[in-house]
Amino acid sequence: MSGTLQVSVLWLLPVLLLPLAVYSGLRMLIGVVREEQGEGERDWSVPQIEFAGGKSSPVHRWDVRFKLASFLLLAFLMVSLQHRQTAVAALVLTLLGYRVAAIPWRRGFKRLLGMAGFLSMFLLMLPLTAVRQSNDLVLVFGGIEWLGFNLRGLDLALLIILRAAAVALLMEPLLATAPLPVTLAGLARMGVPQRLTELLLISHRYLYVFVHEARRMQIGMDVRGFRKSTSLATLRSIGNYVGMLFVRSFERTERVHAAMLARGYQGSWPQPLSFNVKPADYLKAATLIGCGLLLVICDQYFVG
Amino acid sequence: MHISDGVLPTAVALGTSAVSAGILLWSLRRTPADDLPKVAVMTSAFFVASLIHLPFGPTSVHLLIPGLVGALLGPSAFLAIALGLVLQCLLFQFGGLTALGANLLMMGLPALLAGLIYYHFKGRGKKQSILVGALCGGGATIFSALLLALLLASGGEDFIGVAKLALLAHVPVVLIEAGVSAMVVSFLLKVKPELLDIPFVLKEKE
Repeated sequence: MSGTLQVSVLWLLPVLLLPLAVYSGLRMLIGVVREEQGEGERDWSVPQIEFAGGKSSPVHRWDVRFKLASFLLLAFLMVSLQHRQTAVAALVLTLLGYRVAAIPWRRGFKRLLGMAGFLSMFLLMLPLTAVRQSNDLVLVFGGIEWLGFNLRGLDLALLIILRAAAVALLMEPLLATAPLPVTLAGLARMGVPQRLTELLLISHRYLYVFVHEARRMQIGMDVRGFRKSTSLATLRSIGNYVGMLFVRSFERTERVHAAMLARGYQGSWPQPLSFNVKPADYLKAATLIGCGLLLVICDQYFVG
Repeated sequence: MHISDGVLPTAVALGTSAVSAGILLWSLRRTPADDLPKVAVMTSAFFVASLIHLPFGPTSVHLLIPGLVGALLGPSAFLAIALGLVLQCLLFQFGGLTALGANLLMMGLPALLAGLIYYHFKGRGKKQSILVGALCGGGATIFSALLLALLLASGGEDFIGVAKLALLAHVPVVLIEAGVSAMVVSFLLKVKPELLDIPFVLKEKE
């Protein structure tokens, strides 16, 4: 079906409100999740990458190098899908991964929320600004020609959202099924410079320290009556705040570095982890990559 | 604004990942081994600073500070931003696994450029230092907004509208960013000026 379809101008309203509704709906849901956890007003907490508690599942027992390689490849295969049907299949596949790895849904949900703002921009703009092609179906509202709602644009936005959701949901089974040091050691074994993975581990560790510090400073400012507004005074206070954060962290780095040197740090850490590969590791990798390839093949030759 | 998974064409995602990996290795090599833990700890500080939201009229924007990272870390800035982006992707899903390379280029290149400009033009006077700091902060944000628009537009002509909107959304960020950068530079000049001498930088080889 193609061509232009004249509809009443009133239909414009729900179309424009759609991304807004999706976004605020997500916000509300996350609010409910937060209330469940009993968190306060401003959420300063940085979520944990690692899984608390030693659950055991086929994904947990998987050799971390195979896991990383398979998931990375799968992610790139998934973002190259071109049709909605296969993207839905990819999403179902990742949700299946959640079941297998026994990961709480809430964690994946928070990941989706992280992308909600960016993706609602596509949902709003693509239908309105996608270039009109000859076989597009365009809804025109009350004769306003320049403001056509292109259904192909909507399709494109949905495809992007599905792909983004599928890959974002891959992150939890990938990361939450092993402690971060193990995951990073696996990365180092796969050829990522070891210095890089060590840096990542240090920054991750100090992240929580500085979040704590920033919160303390924030409380100090709040107690003294600081209110954010669009003004030069706010800019100056925030500038001092950020500057102070840098000064304090820099001084802390000096102490941390001295402490590391005192404990015999010589530019790299010992690697106590050893990996041993079992046939099951190959089998799992083959299954996962096979699924990804199957999706791409279906996408290329059988759909659309 | 972070590009999420599924937006960029696969070829662009792979290409930007490869280029980013190359620059990252260069940045890692330019950072003295002794300074690596410092870069890591400073990265966490930048990460926390990027969580700060500032009101701008009815909306709020969060700090990006690529200009400041560049001015403070010099060539190591690319490394620091890489670490920060990986952490944001792992923790919050801001930016995605497959778009990591694109996001890194978008934030890292402006930081490197800002570091270079700050290093060469900060001069000796306090006023000039602050002005150059503001220009670096604002300029780096404009540069990264342009890169973002370019990357979005790489999806084809359908995406040009989205790219324009993304550019437009950065206008308030540029103003805030320039202001905060100026204030931070002026604060650091008073409190700890040695931080701004690019402490981690290797001597320019050229």
